[in-house]
Amino acid sequence: MNNKIITPLEASNKVKKSIAKRRAKDNRLKLYGRVAISLAVCFLLILFYSIFSKGYSGFFQYYVTLDINFDRERIDPKGDLSDNSLFDGEASKIVNESLFSIIQPQGRKAKKQAKKIVSSGKDVRIAKMVKNDPSLFGTTTKVKFALDDDIDSFLRGYIKRETPESERRISNKIIEYIDKLNEEGRISYEFSDYILSGSASGNPEMAGIKGAFIGSMLTLSVCLLIAFPLGVATAIYLEEVAKKNKITEFIEVNINNLAAVPSVVFGIMGLAIFISIFGMPRSIPLVGGMVLALMTLPTIIISSRAAIRAVPPSVRDAAYGIGASKLQVIFHHVIPLAMPGMLTGTIIGMAQALGETAPLLMIGMVAFIVDVPNSIVDPGTVLPVQIFMWADFAERMFIQKTSAAIIVLLGFLISMNALAVYLRKKLERRW
Amino acid sequence: MNNINDLKSLELTVGDVFSKNARLKARNVNVFYGNNKAIDNVTIDIGSKEVISFIGPSGCGKSTFLRCFNRMNDTIDSCVVQGEITIDDENIYDKKIDVVPLRARIGMVFQKPNPFPKSIYDNVAYGPRIHGLSENKEHLDVIVEESLKRAGLWQEVSDRLQSPGTGLSGGQQQRLCIARAIAVSPEVILMDEPCSALDPIATAKIEDLIHELGNDYSIVIVTHSMQQAARVSKRTAYFHLGKLIEVGKTKEIFTRPQHHQTEAYISGKIG
Repeated sequence: MNNKIITPLEASNKVKKSIAKRRAKDNRLKLYGRVAISLAVCFLLILFYSIFSKGYSGFFQYYVTLDINFDRERIDPKGDLSDNSLFDGEASKIVNESLFSIIQPQGRKAKKQAKKIVSSGKDVRIAKMVKNDPSLFGTTTKVKFALDDDIDSFLRGYIKRETPESERRISNKIIEYIDKLNEEGRISYEFSDYILSGSASGNPEMAGIKGAFIGSMLTLSVCLLIAFPLGVATAIYLEEVAKKNKITEFIEVNINNLAAVPSVVFGIMGLAIFISIFGMPRSIPLVGGMVLALMTLPTIIISSRAAIRAVPPSVRDAAYGIGASKLQVIFHHVIPLAMPGMLTGTIIGMAQALGETAPLLMIGMVAFIVDVPNSIVDPGTVLPVQIFMWADFAERMFIQKTSAAIIVLLGFLISMNALAVYLRKKLERRW
Repeated sequence: MNNINDLKSLELTVGDVFSKNARLKARNVNVFYGNNKAIDNVTIDIGSKEVISFIGPSGCGKSTFLRCFNRMNDTIDSCVVQGEITIDDENIYDKKIDVVPLRARIGMVFQKPNPFPKSIYDNVAYGPRIHGLSENKEHLDVIVEESLKRAGLWQEVSDRLQSPGTGLSGGQQQRLCIARAIAVSPEVILMDEPCSALDPIATAKIEDLIHELGNDYSIVIVTHSMQQAARVSKRTAYFHLGKLIEVGKTKEIFTRPQHHQTEAYISGKIG
């Protein structure tokens, strides 16, 4: 029976039987796929929801509105609006007086406590205001000041009124004052003007991400300027120019291995080479960018090579056949066709670099730096390191600031990926 | 002409491999892919303004041999060419020869239409541009128009020169590739099965075109279709397993083949 050729009828019956099985298999595969995708989407949504719902409050903080008498004599004793003169002035005192006139603290101790209600950045704020607009002098204007971080946490409900005074970070007196301010409608919850334009600060209510953001931009620019040309050139050389032999094979294997090296190792290397041997300063975006460039190079090289390999050989043949030189074939045909793939790889590499903390810790970009870096050789820090540092601080308010910084970082990443998609679509449209 | 090497290859090849006004001369050419010998001691002349077709079963080496003439085999790492190929008595495998001007002199049309992913205009203008053939924009326009006219494509595309070349039909794309090849004014055009991916109507158009171009250029065409060889070429060369078996006037090859293998192929017994 085994040797007999089956008849068409038998064959079609057997096919029919097996079809049900095959269909079931197909459907099961489809189901697994759908489950996996919905799980992934689900987790993503949960992640985004938790980050945004908890983090958005980090962009807001509590302010107190005070009537400030802009007395030129007291704020700007020399009268020339110079930093020195403004520093010598009594801006803080004026703010405190205005505050005291509302809450009426009795005694030295009470006054000392009451002073801390308004953030210590009050004099800087007044100095900035008069510098921007000297016509304020001589007027009495309502000015909003950030509240101290403990007060902010109290108003958010993180510090509870019911907690015994000895275990609370703020005293009953202060709570009394705040209630008074609240009654007068002087306390408001508003979009923070520190979070986006402020820099690192020990006072959480004044801490912002501007310094870290600029630092990230500078570091990434250095990284891009080094890694992209170098990576693309390497990929072109390996794919188009180099002969396939033992040496290129060895290089290839090593590039692939480099892609898997933990990033902190690159940081140690940067510390050893750029800082110890070349004597570059610590904490500067230039060194950070170079270290991150080393880290992203393998990613860019590998994806660029894949993109170059995907260029159809017929296009190369056509160009060679008409008498184009190797360089012309590469620059006129291979690179334009491979560019979308190269860019995608580069942006993925950049996104990796943007989120990298470990190698930057090694080269000292973790330092506490208040000034916003103006160039790639000014000390600075980057967003993920800032997040890492804030997450480590004890003050309650840094939790919200950390969440806000994470949202900014995520937004940065998402817009970079969107740019990658846009560039790919746009360049691919050129047939 | 009658040196010993020539005689040696004559033992193998039946018919008249030599041509009176030869433009390309191949002498005792061997081609290796690694250890694999793809072309075995082939000697043949290709005349000036002559259309010659290479026929033979798949894998007989006719395409490989064709690609020797403009050194396209250079792009394959493992490929080694021995022997001598001359164009106007200049050895193209000489170390002094640069492949770039050589390929401008010997154009090529490939099996699959392969226009660049650029506009029709840029496709044709590419060769003249990289070789610096045109003095100015107007001159380039003239070259493009003339090439497209000669390739019989001008009427169909004159109103959409800036649209993508890849958007044309297969037959139009192949004529665009021919226009691109003739835009650099080559002396010889090599065609590697130019109609194998086309329908009969497009094929007929290309064949007419080859017929016309044969008045100005030497054309070497590799084809699987014996009818096509019979229609377009004056001379035909039959290859088998890397050897050149027989060369002769197309009419004679198809009516009175002298070698038994040629006869077997023509009558459909092998191939």
